[in-house]
Amino acid sequence: MTLPRSSLLTWLLALVFALLPEQAAAHPMPTTTMQLDLHTSSVTAELALPLNELQLATRWNLLGNSAALEQYGPQLRAYLLKHLAAATPSGQAWTVSVGTPTLTQAEQTMTGPYQEFVVPVRLTPPAGASTRTFTLKYDAIVHQVVTHSILVSIRQDWEQGLHGEHPVQVGVIRTDTRTGTVPPLEVNQAGGSAWQGFVGIFRLGMTHIAEGTDHLLFLLTLLLPAPLLAVMNRRPHWGPFGGTRRSLLNIVKITTAFTVGHSLTLLLGTLRVVNVPDQPIEALIAVSILVSAVHALRPIFPGREMVVAGGFGLIHGLAFSYTLAELNLSPWQTALSLLGFNLGIEAMQLLVIAVTMPWLILLAQTRLYPPVRVVGASLAVLASLGWLGDRVGLANPLGTLADSLGTVGPWALLGLAALAALGFAFQKLRNTEAPSA
Amino acid sequence: MKKALFAVPLSLALLLAGCGTTDTGTGGGTDTGTGGDPISTGTTAEVVTAANAFLATLSTSQQASVVLTRTQAEAIQWSNLPCGSNCRNGIQFSTLSATQLAAAQAVVKAAMGTTTNEGYDEAMQIRAADDVLGSAGNSGGGPGGGGYSSGTYFLAFLNTPSTTGQWQLQFGGHHLAVNITYNAGAVTGATPMFEGVEPKCWSVTGTTTTANNCTAPGTSGSTTTYAPLYQEQTAMAAMLAGLSSTQLASAKLSQTFSDVLLGPGEDGQFPATKQGLAVSTLSTTQKALVLAAMKPWVQDVDDTTAAALLKIYENELDSTYIAFSGNSTLTNNTDYVRIDGPSAWIEFVCQTGVVYRDQIHYHSVWRDHTRDYGASYSF
Repeated sequence: MTLPRSSLLTWLLALVFALLPEQAAAHPMPTTTMQLDLHTSSVTAELALPLNELQLATRWNLLGNSAALEQYGPQLRAYLLKHLAAATPSGQAWTVSVGTPTLTQAEQTMTGPYQEFVVPVRLTPPAGASTRTFTLKYDAIVHQVVTHSILVSIRQDWEQGLHGEHPVQVGVIRTDTRTGTVPPLEVNQAGGSAWQGFVGIFRLGMTHIAEGTDHLLFLLTLLLPAPLLAVMNRRPHWGPFGGTRRSLLNIVKITTAFTVGHSLTLLLGTLRVVNVPDQPIEALIAVSILVSAVHALRPIFPGREMVVAGGFGLIHGLAFSYTLAELNLSPWQTALSLLGFNLGIEAMQLLVIAVTMPWLILLAQTRLYPPVRVVGASLAVLASLGWLGDRVGLANPLGTLADSLGTVGPWALLGLAALAALGFAFQKLRNTEAPSA
Repeated sequence: MKKALFAVPLSLALLLAGCGTTDTGTGGGTDTGTGGDPISTGTTAEVVTAANAFLATLSTSQQASVVLTRTQAEAIQWSNLPCGSNCRNGIQFSTLSATQLAAAQAVVKAAMGTTTNEGYDEAMQIRAADDVLGSAGNSGGGPGGGGYSSGTYFLAFLNTPSTTGQWQLQFGGHHLAVNITYNAGAVTGATPMFEGVEPKCWSVTGTTTTANNCTAPGTSGSTTTYAPLYQEQTAMAAMLAGLSSTQLASAKLSQTFSDVLLGPGEDGQFPATKQGLAVSTLSTTQKALVLAAMKPWVQDVDDTTAAALLKIYENELDSTYIAFSGNSTLTNNTDYVRIDGPSAWIEFVCQTGVVYRDQIHYHSVWRDHTRDYGASYSF
């Protein structure tokens, strides 16, 4: 964040941060929030104005008025145009356009629930001027309600690695009580760089996978039978351990095929060469988990795991591409982002594989593996059905439960490791005792 | 079994994401050690004795959380929000044993005034209001029960209490911030002091508590009514009621106040120009009402200091201004009144309730242009 010059402001900000967890606004009276997205040719912003404070400033009849939006929407746009301006450091005015307001329910720390107008705004600098350094003049509500404040944060800024997940507060617009005026806010995000942007997008890729329980579940379910030999007789089933070398080779093949698949569609989707609605894609991802879970129970496509991983990889890649497409990046940023995002995805995938597969390879050599495999695959079946329901519009408790799978992770991994160690030790003990028995 | 695998990357990702969080920073000036002029010796000796007695009841680690080094950063660390220990210094009352708690309250009692419904009595009522909020739960319509409690109050000493050195007493919780500065055996600052209350009044009959029944504090039969800021509200309303309509018009501010202007973090930010109606233009009776309106705030420090400060404020009346916004009755949301003198700065505002949403509640701040934090810091 930009460091404020005066120590008072530093303290004010420090206080605000100290009071409010997660940089959310915490004030006894709800504050206006302004979230800025910095693009290469314009800045878009989302303004949230609490109705109670807006009513005090405008004398409009907003509270308890169910028609507030219809009645005051057009006036609100005119009001905002009057109270919002931006300029380059040399004083050249930007173009301001105000979008259509919506009415939503909100709650800040300790304010209790309240309603607010949310308004999209676009600020466009004169040709050639930077979108990263500008003066923001905003005094809606605060021109009248002198105790009101506006928390301004940067939500999206590619060059600083911000992608909407952790907005960074850049300042508070409020009345200078000494002079009674509302000073403009200097926004200066000049510190960013292509490298910082690249690292940010790499982290976004990692986070995307870490939080994308469904993507990981697909991959791990597909890898579940990788250490085993398929026995294809009249009743196809999973046979014994196929050897460490063969298992590792399988894992590498499956993972690589998945990577190739999703990289291809990530590229096509981000460049908008293909444009598929996300709902069917999300549903297909649930299907991909179901298919690989059934395969982990009974081999249905033995030897063709690579093809299946690659094919479903194409689907998963489309889902990844929505994240990048939403960022509205320039071509150069898009190229760097594709690389960084994909590397982030790979890094996180490999990390997960590295911490889980050794235990599975160990377990596969013990009698504990069949139950572990069946329980794991069955859980995946249930989760996939839950998600499938959710994604075709049938909200269900199973889907909600599946969404929370990630949170129990570390304990389950610990359990898996303990089970593998125990099973392996027991096996060894039995093997050494066997000759004398 | 598989689910284990997903949380590991999640926590890793969170770790990575954590790198981007903001540094809240500290900084600010350090103790200048000079401080302002003494207001009075007041009860400094008694406060120091009580403070030492309290410290003697504590373990070493408890003492370490009570006695802090006095810096500007620590001095201005107070709040009017129910933010628990995140925004206040010192030891939390709920962690103290009965003996320790009694000793802690004795410190506050020695430091604050003895007038009924002011000073120590008022501070304890403001604490009690949090128990009312805590047990109201969500019945008031707003978020209640969220940890509001008389136990969520904190006591801290910035520097070791003594009758020779400079130190600051901090006592506060939701709706209360007491900051009294002592130097060489005298009180050098009784402000900033924040006081607020929700519900604005409540009655207790046996074990039954009724909130916002809004009568004057007192006891009638088996019912006791508490209204900690009743005197503050009525004295301010009486001051405004004593004005002619012309005077009211010039005292009225066009702006709207949904809270006090100079709350926590707004140290030294006094408006450069005083607004409203000059007290010098008022009649003797009206001036007496202005002085009476300041009294309920000034009486929240020990009686001798209160009398000395009130004398100073009285002598400065002719350079003092009064102003209000909203209704002069001080009964509705955003009704606001201010007294701004060469020294005194008092604000009182009515806000929509947070727990009792169909009621108003009060916020007020008493500051002193030249004596906040014992005049140790510049802002």
